[in-house]
Amino acid sequence: MGVSYIPVARVGELSAGAMKEVDLGGRQVLLAFVEGRYFAFSRTCPHEEADLKIAGQLLGGATIRCTNHSYCYDLASGECTLPKGAAPLTVLPAEERGEEVCIRLEW
Amino acid sequence: MAFDLLVRGGRVVDGSGLPSYVADVGVKNGKVVEVGKLNESASKTIDASGLAVAPGFIDHHTHLDAQMLWDPYGTCEPQHGITTVVMGNCGLSLAPVRSGIEDAIVKSFVRVEAIPRFALEEGVKWNWHSYGEYLDNFEGKVGINVGGLVGHIAMRHEVMGEDAVERKATGAEVQKMRGHVLDSMEGGALGISTNRNERHMREDGKPVASRLADDEEFFALCDVLAERNGGVIETILGRNKIEHFEFYHELAKRTQRPVLWQSLQHRWAEPNLWREQLDAVEKIFKAGYQAYGLSHTVPLVRHFELKNCQVFDEFPTWKNLMFLPVEVRKQAFADPATRDKMRADLASPAPTNFHRRWDILRVEKVVKPENQKYNGKNIEELAKMQNKDPIDAFLDLALEEDLGTVFWNANNGGDWNAMGEILRSPYVLVGTSDAGAHVQFGADFGYGTILLGLWVRERQVMTLEQAVHKLTFHVASIFGLQGRGLLRPGYAADMAIFDPKTVNSHEPEWAHDYPANSKRLVQRSDGMHYTIVNGTVIHEDGRMTGDLPGHVIRGPLYRQQKAAA
Repeated sequence: MGVSYIPVARVGELSAGAMKEVDLGGRQVLLAFVEGRYFAFSRTCPHEEADLKIAGQLLGGATIRCTNHSYCYDLASGECTLPKGAAPLTVLPAEERGEEVCIRLEW
Repeated sequence: MAFDLLVRGGRVVDGSGLPSYVADVGVKNGKVVEVGKLNESASKTIDASGLAVAPGFIDHHTHLDAQMLWDPYGTCEPQHGITTVVMGNCGLSLAPVRSGIEDAIVKSFVRVEAIPRFALEEGVKWNWHSYGEYLDNFEGKVGINVGGLVGHIAMRHEVMGEDAVERKATGAEVQKMRGHVLDSMEGGALGISTNRNERHMREDGKPVASRLADDEEFFALCDVLAERNGGVIETILGRNKIEHFEFYHELAKRTQRPVLWQSLQHRWAEPNLWREQLDAVEKIFKAGYQAYGLSHTVPLVRHFELKNCQVFDEFPTWKNLMFLPVEVRKQAFADPATRDKMRADLASPAPTNFHRRWDILRVEKVVKPENQKYNGKNIEELAKMQNKDPIDAFLDLALEEDLGTVFWNANNGGDWNAMGEILRSPYVLVGTSDAGAHVQFGADFGYGTILLGLWVRERQVMTLEQAVHKLTFHVASIFGLQGRGLLRPGYAADMAIFDPKTVNSHEPEWAHDYPANSKRLVQRSDGMHYTIVNGTVIHEDGRMTGDLPGHVIRGPLYRQQKAAA
């Protein structure tokens, strides 16, 4: 068991509403800076596997909309909010640690 | 009599489900004229010895409404033996349409069926108003036979404009829609389709128009089919619920037309649902009404390594481990305390899509020669061989092979016995290819070749004759496709000639053959040697001949009109 903080960006590197691609252990993740908070999530939409780097649209309220089918996900919980009950987006906790934005992985 | 085409010495699987037999098939003027030992000459002869000769397959669940306008073969349908397609499913058709509502229809197709907007804008010219005029576009211009259902969404927009996605219809509007149903059916539609799937929205996030219709409206439209005694009713209500069967029963009883519903498949997360669905639908049939469930043949399979794996993302500890650097992940996998935490994750009561069954997940391909004996074993078997707990056996093997072991998992369609019962059921209509839809996310043109390769040859859940029947005459009978689906004298000479020993489907692959050279997924086949439409070969060993012998298949009300005239 343990905890890893994996640095993925410098604080201030992302402007408001920007997304950055990150490779985490061989998996593609997006880091987004929305409403003053960082969110990390899988680059693949769980509905039909669209690339959220291309199809993802950040909305207010820390929500991402996949423009392929208008599915919306809460970036904090991963819950699919439109339509409700669909498969969730894989999300990871992101936090500022000093000058770095890190993904916290606990196992 | 000299034939136009003679297919010699094949094993005729005639679509009826009766035992196959060796015979020649003689074709003249696009129709089968004789089956048996034939000595006459022919303009073209095909040696089919060692091959099966079947009626061409009928793909009843496509969204090729747009693609057929620029691709006369509905590629890759012919590569899989498909000679007839039905468009207009799930409430979505490109007609009827009046000027100004085209984009409302496009918005629905783009989102529900994931057809790129620019492909629709470039490929659809909208030079029609009625359903009959839309079908006219295909006359003399298609390589396969094409028919379609009229979609509730288009009819609602035609009558209500943008109000169609905002409110219920008035009585007067319902009457106008009934007029469009009749006009479309008399123009050649094979039936009507609707969509109540709560997940189906337009591009702008609004529900597709048919979701705003209540039972009263939809039943009123379907009554037109009952009053004229023709056509099928195709539905998608969204998540399968047993309560839906009351709706199917009422609709089928009220109209006495075949009702089609989506979908019936095995899911490990709800392992008894398919049985409950079959039991529920059997009651409808026993009462004397028809409500066929659509079932796919393609298991939802994931091949994965623990180097890059999404299968366990529903479990927090597993998920976090899969994002760790590989070397750290390997250390964690070896740690007994981490393994205990992983076990606890899997034991949590929260419902998940992953089935948590080690007798289903299996070793597909090992890296090390000394581990070959584990190929094909499920994890429970592997654990028994090694006298270990399944999680330990699973992780130890992956670690021993530097996380390079390939594993196999199927959340849906993986129970061979369940799939056998589903596919054999007379209440189940096989095939939901969705051809022409979701073009950048998947390709299931091969549902028929997979039925023949995986379920007949490999799993032996049904006979070749039963499978061909399911792909041909079973569909033709339900949809009222006169003169198709059997290999008998007088029937259309639509044929699929294939090798039962090799027929199968490839994994989808990318091609740039959509409008504006845009990309989509296509699917090749193995063992499908000839595809013949109305007596003309259109596909021969992977090569398209370029001929366009397809017909527009118009439905019963069109035929009634024509006969009366």
